Amino acid sequence: MPQTDNPKWGMVIDLDRCTGCSACVTACSLENNVPIVGEADAGYGRGMHWIRIERYWEGTYPNLTARFRPIMCQQCGNAPCEPVCPVYASYHSQAEQLNVQVYNRCVGTRYCGNNCPYIARQFNWFGYADMMPEPLNSQFNPDVTVRSRGVMEKCTFCIQRIRRGEETAKALGRPVLDGEVEPACAQACPSDAIYFGLLSDPESSVSQLSRSPRAEVMLEDLGTSPRVIYLKAGSGAIRKEQP
Amino acid sequence: MAEEGRIHLALFKDVYPATMALDKLRELGIPDKDMTVVSGVPYSDRILGRPKYMTRVPRYSIVGFVGGFILSLLLNLGTPYLYPIHVGGQPLYSIPPTILLTFELSMLGLIIFTFLGVLFESDFPSLGPKIYHPEISNGKVAVVFDCPPEIHTRVHESLAALGAEWVHRTEAKQL
Amino acid sequence: MTADATPISQAQIYDEEEDPRQHLMLDPRPREEMNSMVMEAMHTTTREYWIVVGVLTFLVVVCLFGAWGYMIATGMGVAGIRRPTMWGMFIANFVFWIGISHAGTFVSAILRVFKAEFRRPFTRAAELMTTFGLAAGAMYPLIHLGRVWTAYWMVPYPNQRQLWPNLRSPLSWDLIAITTYLLSSTIYIYLPLIPDVAMARDRSTGWRYKFYRLLALGWRGTETEWHNLRTAINIFAFAIIPVMFSVHTIVSWDFAVTQTPGWHSTIYGPFFIAGAIFSGVSAVAMILFLIRATLVNMKYFVREEHFDALGKLMLIFSFTWAYFYFNEYMVEWYGGDLAAKTVLKAFTQSPYGWIWYLMLFCNIAVPWLLLWNKRVRRTPWLMFVIGFLINVGMYAERFIIVPTEISTNRFPFMWGDYFPRIELVISIGSLSLFLLLFAVASRLIPLIPVWEVQEGQLAHSLKRFGKHEVATKSELE
Repeated sequence: MPQTDNPKWGMVIDLDRCTGCSACVTACSLENNVPIVGEADAGYGRGMHWIRIERYWEGTYPNLTARFRPIMCQQCGNAPCEPVCPVYASYHSQAEQLNVQVYNRCVGTRYCGNNCPYIARQFNWFGYADMMPEPLNSQFNPDVTVRSRGVMEKCTFCIQRIRRGEETAKALGRPVLDGEVEPACAQACPSDAIYFGLLSDPESSVSQLSRSPRAEVMLEDLGTSPRVIYLKAGSGAIRKEQP
Repeated sequence: MAEEGRIHLALFKDVYPATMALDKLRELGIPDKDMTVVSGVPYSDRILGRPKYMTRVPRYSIVGFVGGFILSLLLNLGTPYLYPIHVGGQPLYSIPPTILLTFELSMLGLIIFTFLGVLFESDFPSLGPKIYHPEISNGKVAVVFDCPPEIHTRVHESLAALGAEWVHRTEAKQL
Repeated sequence: MTADATPISQAQIYDEEEDPRQHLMLDPRPREEMNSMVMEAMHTTTREYWIVVGVLTFLVVVCLFGAWGYMIATGMGVAGIRRPTMWGMFIANFVFWIGISHAGTFVSAILRVFKAEFRRPFTRAAELMTTFGLAAGAMYPLIHLGRVWTAYWMVPYPNQRQLWPNLRSPLSWDLIAITTYLLSSTIYIYLPLIPDVAMARDRSTGWRYKFYRLLALGWRGTETEWHNLRTAINIFAFAIIPVMFSVHTIVSWDFAVTQTPGWHSTIYGPFFIAGAIFSGVSAVAMILFLIRATLVNMKYFVREEHFDALGKLMLIFSFTWAYFYFNEYMVEWYGGDLAAKTVLKAFTQSPYGWIWYLMLFCNIAVPWLLLWNKRVRRTPWLMFVIGFLINVGMYAERFIIVPTEISTNRFPFMWGDYFPRIELVISIGSLSLFLLLFAVASRLIPLIPVWEVQEGQLAHSLKRFGKHEVATKSELE
C-alpha cells in the first residue's frame, strides 16, 4: 500500500449509522483522562468532553426528529487555533499532520478556544484531576498526560494510539495497516459509525469513504480544511437549526 | 566655562532686559561662548539673540530607530529560523506580522534612545553642585557668564543699570 | 438708513460680553504665585483625603490582590468564564483601560502638534491618566491567564530550552505594543515634568526635597537643557501618535483577526481608536472636575473653557464612534452571513439586551442631546456626569464586544450566556488602583505643568482690532 512520508490521518463519521448513544464520548473520556467537572460546572457549560453529540430537535411534538452529530476537534489543515497561541502550545505537527496541543507549554490565554470555529476546545478551569476522590484516580490511562489546571485540551485523534501503531509497524518493518490504528471513539462505537485511517493512502477505507457522494465537511467555506469527514444522513442534507 | 572664581550670575525680571544684558556683555568683550541664559521657561535662540544651537538628540533617535528595526528583524526572521513551528497554514516568514512588529520595535527604540539622548546630552543625572539661583524657577531669567576679573566691577554696574535684580560672582552650590 | 432708526448701544448687542480674563492664557499671574499655588495644592492633605486613600488602599489590597491571589490559588473557575465565552470581563476591562489611556496621548501629543492652547493646564493630568490606565489595564492580560506563573514564556528571550514565542500571535503583538506604549507614555510624562519638579525641589525641604532632587536630575534651565528637552518632547509628540494608533489597533486585532462571527470585522481598528479617544476624553473631563473639587487653587488653572473644549471633542468623537459603529452594524445586518446576523440579534435579547441599549443611550443620546449646548459644556459638574455616563456606555460597548459576541457562534448547541463572578471584585480592585495612583500622584508631583502655562501666557496678549480687544498668540517657538 503506497504511503507518503508524512501520513495524513483522517476520520470519517457516517451519520446514517450514528445512533447518538454517546459510547464514543464515554470511551474518549476514559481513554484520555478527561476530567469530571461535577454537576454545577457542567451545567454552566464547563463540560470537558473532547467529543460532544450535538443534538437539534426538528418539528413539534409529537412529530419530533432529532438530528445529531458527534463533533470533536476537526484537526484542521489550516487550523485557526494555531497561529493565535502566543507560546506555540498549539501547532501543526508536520509528522502526523495533526493539530497538536502541548499541555506543558500552554499558558492559558484561551485564545485558541475562542478562535476555534467548531468550539471544540476545552479549558481546565480547576485542577479537576486533584479533585478526583481516591480510587477513581487509579483509572487514569498511563499513556496520556493528566492535565493540570489552567491548560487547554482537545481531541488528539488518540495520538498515543497512533504512535503505538506506527511504532509497532516500524518494529515489524511494514507500513501501518488500514484499520490497525483506532481511536477510542471508533473502537467503542457499537454501530461502527466512525472510521479512522490514513487519508494520504488512497486505498484506505477513510479515503474511499471520503470520495462518497454523501461526504461533506463542516464549515467548508471557512477554509479550515478539516480532517473529519461526515457522511450525510439519509433523508437529504442535514440542515443547521435556523436560530 | 572657566576656572572657579570667575563665574557671575545676573538675575533679571524677564527676558527683555536679559537680552539687552547679553548685548552689553558682548560690547564689554565677553564672547558668546562664555555666556548662557538660564530660565524657567524656554526661550528660542532667536528671541535671545544667541547663536543657533543644533541639539544632537535627533541623532540618538535615529540610532534607536535603526536599533529597534534590527532587533525586530532578528525576532521576526531569526526566531522562526531557530525554532520553526508551522501554524495554521501560515508561512514561517510572514510579511504582515513582520511589518507590524518592525514598526512597534522601531518606535520603541526611537523612544528609548530619544530619552537617553536627553540624558546624555544634558549630562543628566548630575546631582553635584551647580551654578544656579532658585529664583530662576520663579520665572526670572538669569545670565551666567565668565568675566575676567579686571572688568568685573564695570560689568556689574552696567548690568545693574539695565535692571538686574541681583548680580554677583557665584560658586557652584548644591541644587 | 431710515430716519427713525435708533442707534443700538454696544451693551445691548453684546450683553454677554466675555471678559477676556476668563481665559487662562489671558489671565497671567506672576510665575512665583503660580508656583506657590501648585506647591500648596500638593502639600494640602485633608482628613477626607486620607480616608479616601485608606479606603482605596484597602480595596486594592483585598479586591485586586486578594481576589486575584485567591483565583491564582484556586483556578480560573472562580471567574464566570466558560465555554464558549472563554474571554469575559477581564478582557473587556483590559480593552476599556487601554482605551482610557489613549486620552492622555491625545491631549498631550495630538493637541500639542496642532498647537491647541487650551491643552496647557491639563496635559499632565491627562498623561497621568494614560500611565495609570495602562498600569491598571496591563494587569489584565496577566490576570486572565490560566497559568500566570508561566507568563514569562510569552517574552522573546534566549533560553536554555531554545524555545521562542509565537510572534505571529496577536497576543505577542499586544505584549510588545503595550510595553512600547507604557514606556513611551511614562517617559513622555517624565520629560515635561523635569522643569516642574526642579521648581518643587527649589521650594521643598526634608524628604520631598530629596525626592524632587533625584527626579529633577540636576535640571537648571540652561539653554542646552531646554533645547534638548524641547527637541525630545517634539520628537515624542510626533512619535507617540502612531504608537497610540497602533496600540489600540493591535488590541482590536485580538478580536478582528479571529474567525468568530461578529468579531471578524475589518472596521475594528479605527472603531476601537475612535471609542478609545471618546472614552478617554470623557474620563479627562471627569478627572479635571475631581481635581478642581479636591485640590486647592486648581480653579485658577482648570476653567470652564477647558470643559467647553473637552465637551466639543466629546461630541465630535461621539459622532465618530457612532459612525464607525453604525458602519459595522449596517454591513453585518445587510450582507453578513447567517452567523454574523445571529450575533446582531443576540444584542437585543436577554440577558444582554439592557447592556446594548444602555450603550446606545450613553454614547449617542446623552452626548447628542446635551453637548451641543455651550452652557452645559461650561458646567463642570454636568460634564462630570456626562463623562461618567459616556464611560459607562463605552464599558457596555466593550462588554457587548467581548463576552456577548462570542456567546453566539456557528453552533447553536454551544451557545452560552456569560455571568461574571469574581471578575466584579477584581474590577473594583483595578478601578481603586487607578484612583489610588492618581490620589497619591496628586500630592507627590505637581499636577499642573506650570512652565507650559507660563509659556502660553507669555505668548498670548490682548490686541485692539477695530472696536474690540482680541486675543493674539505669538509664535514664540
